[in-house]
Amino acid sequence: MNGLSLTLSRGVARVTEAALGPYQSAVIRIGFAGTWLLFLLREFPHRQELYGPSGPWGWNLAKELTADNHAFTALLWSDGRLWFEFCYTLAVLAATALMLGWRTRTASLLFMVGVLSLQNRSVFVGDGGDNVLHLMSIYLVFTRCGQVWSLDARRAARVAATRARGERVPADRVGPVLWAVLGLALGTATLTGRFDNGWLIPALLWTAWAVLGLWWAVGRRAAWHEPRALLDVIANVLHNGALVVIMAEACLIYATAGWYKVQGSRWQDGTAVYYPLHLDYFSPWPGLADLMSSSGTIMMIVAYGTVMVQVAFPFTLFNRRVKNVLLVLMMTEHAVIAVVLGLPFFSLAMIAADAVFLPTSFLRRLGDLAARARGRLTRSTGGTVPAPRSPEDSTADHVGFTA
Amino acid sequence: MDAYDEDSRGPQAPDGSAGTRLPEEPPEHHPPSPPRTGVAALSPRYQVAAALALAVVAVAGCVHLLMVFLSLAPANTVTKQHGQAVQDWVYPEFEQNWKLFAPNPLQQNIAVQVRAEVRMRDGGLRTTGWTDLSAQDGRAIDGNPVPSHTQQNELRRAWDFFAATHGGDNRPVGMRGSLSEQYLRRLVAMRLYRDDPTSREGVIQRVQVRSSTTNVPPPSWSREQISDKPVYRVLPWWSLTSDEAAGGVR
Repeated sequence: MNGLSLTLSRGVARVTEAALGPYQSAVIRIGFAGTWLLFLLREFPHRQELYGPSGPWGWNLAKELTADNHAFTALLWSDGRLWFEFCYTLAVLAATALMLGWRTRTASLLFMVGVLSLQNRSVFVGDGGDNVLHLMSIYLVFTRCGQVWSLDARRAARVAATRARGERVPADRVGPVLWAVLGLALGTATLTGRFDNGWLIPALLWTAWAVLGLWWAVGRRAAWHEPRALLDVIANVLHNGALVVIMAEACLIYATAGWYKVQGSRWQDGTAVYYPLHLDYFSPWPGLADLMSSSGTIMMIVAYGTVMVQVAFPFTLFNRRVKNVLLVLMMTEHAVIAVVLGLPFFSLAMIAADAVFLPTSFLRRLGDLAARARGRLTRSTGGTVPAPRSPEDSTADHVGFTA
Repeated sequence: MDAYDEDSRGPQAPDGSAGTRLPEEPPEHHPPSPPRTGVAALSPRYQVAAALALAVVAVAGCVHLLMVFLSLAPANTVTKQHGQAVQDWVYPEFEQNWKLFAPNPLQQNIAVQVRAEVRMRDGGLRTTGWTDLSAQDGRAIDGNPVPSHTQQNELRRAWDFFAATHGGDNRPVGMRGSLSEQYLRRLVAMRLYRDDPTSREGVIQRVQVRSSTTNVPPPSWSREQISDKPVYRVLPWWSLTSDEAAGGVR
């Protein structure tokens, strides 16, 4: 009994004192935002046809469907061309900001609005990749995913350095302005009845906005140490909960994909992989597909291997080494799928989801490599290199001042 | 800070329920060196709030995952009883489908083809031949490292949507049936105006869509025998609205 309560209290201490997995949450932030950004840029020439007011899935059709299913989309607030272009641009900017970790929490809200608005506007043009991004854009809002590898982290380090030198830290102007603009937008949307179709996303936006304001207010008074610490604890708890949900979601994806395949006769007889390779819509390189499917033995191994890996993955999380081996296998398989089946954005999104399980040591090495490569790049162009940020900075004492 | 925590232990411990249990680290045994963070750094009032937040997040997370799990699982005794609650939780924003190429991958190439009745400039009415829009998509995807959703998903999924919301007699089922019909009509009209030379020279009056389903030939190393003849599903002629006829779909 005593042992149990000790374990429990250790667990509570762990999930309240820090936002765990700073590197993992940063890598999925960069992964999902980057995938969506690349997708938006890829589809830029086709944006009217896919999501525009006069596309095949016309504004009225979308309006009728969302009135029925209550999905959130800002694109149906107006059928004007200008509004559409504004929303698409905002989605691009939000994805960029989130990828770079600029005002990460606000960026994650706008990113979610962008993803949901475009995808719910035209649900019938998406695929599995869109589905992953849809879910993750909502989950990311709850995480503190800007602790490392972000402009926010760099800014926090600079502020800390200034304070350590005993100098005055200039007041942040961008944050309050951004918050005020966001509040104005939310208020306008609410008063004009734009939020009347479904309560979930509007409630989430308003709550996040209110908490951001509270966070800022509480951070201004040195005497309000305790409320600040409480908010920090709540933010940590939310982050850790969301990270668990994100990991579980990845497991559900693999478990569903695997367990349903087990029941399929084509997966049993080992020919399943042959068929997608020969569908006109999924064979950008027919020669390559023919080469891969020339041997029945290889096809059977790939089919059985795929099912085994997908079914096994959630259980391997209990063993670090086996988990890492499977992670490599799955990321490789998705990289192959990206090319062979012509699904680059689906594969990128899945690789980003897999990345949440990468070990911290590997991610830090990856970060160092990237920092060194950037250092070489900026040195050759004559820029300055900001000091690398140690992970201790991010979680220990300053974390209370960044949302 | 330590004084806070010490007197907090007394009144807190007895009435703390399992869900809101607080860490019971004995501060007197600890060296005072590391600055405490997390709930331990808070005074009792704030600890209650933190514990409450922890409980809410834990419960919400578990319920959410359970609901998503039930929405993905096959129909079972629980979903028979609580299916509506699961649906209400998951739809629309957490809807998901991960039966990727499962239980069996699609083993047929389904091509959507269209022909049109076009009013030419001289007033005559001309019926075009069948245009294979899926074949156009296929050609656009060939050798393309980043196929667009317009090439890979738009027409393919528009047809899936149509097939899923229509009976075998091609009659629409419910509101979505009617939506899918309008969607497909607008889509083929747009494509014809874009690529079909006859349509470009006149005004489309009506369109007719058919699907051509061909089995993927079995692998060379298999002894299976299946037909390689396409099977057609021909839909009735549809009249375009004036906006669609004027090329309003872009």
